Amino acid sequence: MLRVEDLTLRVRGRNLVTGFSCELQQGQITCLLGQSGCGKTSVLKWLAGILPKAINASGRLSLDGAPVQTPHPDIAYQPQSDALFPWLTIAGNAALGLEMAGMPAKAAIQKATALFGAFGLSDCETLYPEQISGGMRQRAAFLRTILQDSRFILLDEPFSALDAVTRLRMQEWLCTRLTETSRGVLLVTHDLHEATQMADRILVMSNGSGPLLADIPMMTPRAGRSEAALAEIRTTLKSLLLET
Amino acid sequence: MHFLHHIFPTTLLAAVLLLAWQLYCTLAGVSPLLLPAPLDILRALVVERARIAPHAFSTIWVATLGFSTSVLFAFAASIALHFSPWLQRGMMPLLVASQTVPLVALAPLMILWFGFGLLPKVLLVILVTFFPILISLLSGYSQVPQAYLDLLHAMRASKWRLFRRATLPMARASFFAGLKISATYAIVATIFAEYAGARQGLGIYILTAKNSFRADLVLAAVVVSAGLTLLLLGALQLIERLTGKSRFEGQNAAG
Repeated sequence: MLRVEDLTLRVRGRNLVTGFSCELQQGQITCLLGQSGCGKTSVLKWLAGILPKAINASGRLSLDGAPVQTPHPDIAYQPQSDALFPWLTIAGNAALGLEMAGMPAKAAIQKATALFGAFGLSDCETLYPEQISGGMRQRAAFLRTILQDSRFILLDEPFSALDAVTRLRMQEWLCTRLTETSRGVLLVTHDLHEATQMADRILVMSNGSGPLLADIPMMTPRAGRSEAALAEIRTTLKSLLLET
Repeated sequence: MHFLHHIFPTTLLAAVLLLAWQLYCTLAGVSPLLLPAPLDILRALVVERARIAPHAFSTIWVATLGFSTSVLFAFAASIALHFSPWLQRGMMPLLVASQTVPLVALAPLMILWFGFGLLPKVLLVILVTFFPILISLLSGYSQVPQAYLDLLHAMRASKWRLFRRATLPMARASFFAGLKISATYAIVATIFAEYAGARQGLGIYILTAKNSFRADLVLAAVVVSAGLTLLLLGALQLIERLTGKSRFEGQNAAG
């Protein structure tokens, strides 16, 4: 279990996030919602160990009860854009995390290409990012993240650049992949539909002045959720977000 | 398509310009001692080819040697400055100041200090070409998107790995742009150094031709120097293409 306790982020004398605490469980998708500028991405970057120097942070992070320093091998991060390197092939991009962890390039690419079929990237190994569609690029980015074998994954609005249909397909596809691999996921999103359909738990952040506005566990499994129940949760979320 | 888009406009404009020049010289009866017509220059080039060739070879050799050394120095310096912001802050004003030294003052001093051999000429080429390459590299290094840096930092990549995997490839386009600018300076700088004092080279050939009032030979040498510059640029273009530029700068993105 990954636990964040009493995280406060300050930028230019102003509190961006105050007293944020949460717990991430393996095998669960936790969605982080909040208005623009409330510090969702900053929380994610703090967890990934890549918070900009201009932001001062105080808080505790522990993994299975033991305090940890970030960046940490058990926490993988995927930025908002797919961030595929245009000078690397799709296989090279997918293997990047393994290479950075010290695996020889050839072995890393072999390990990555073995999963290309499962990620809908067959025959894309030698192509470059510009040569494939947005959905495929995003899948390649997920493969790069999942291959890192981290217990927890931080996703910053991974579907924001995709069209509506591709987004729906990718959400479903990602849930299946994540369930298979039993990772704990923290997903930052603006999309209420995305949050209610994907999450096992939804955290609603306030606008800097206080701790969480709401911590909503999704009681039924994803497949059994009725549209009426989801609509009710969305209404609650909407009113919470509009109040802040 | 490539011919129509790139080569044809240049060829047409050059032909029109040369024709106008030729007609002006012929119809206005300008003395060839003052302004030789393009055909006079071509004739001089053909007649003098055996004499110009060794000078041209000497110039391209010095320019290539100086330019290659400059690329190596600039590359090493760019890495040092990239990894040491303190050094960069200290060095940049000095490097900028070095560019304000006029060549016309420096070239004779170089000859005075280092003699008529290869060294002063190579040093002058390095001095002229080093700065644009260094600046283009440093500018390229600073263009890495934050998402790439975040990604690699989160993967706990070392500074060197981050540089090798993201910063350096990102600087490629900027580096080649700087190389092309410097390549054009390289030939000019070599000719300037030879002009200040040399045993062989287009610079000394131009000086001798000028002292003999042979404007046609001066311009013939100018044509050769332009040809050498184009040759150097062509070689760079080829290297850029062979090392994979088109791989990731194409326009065939899928929807």
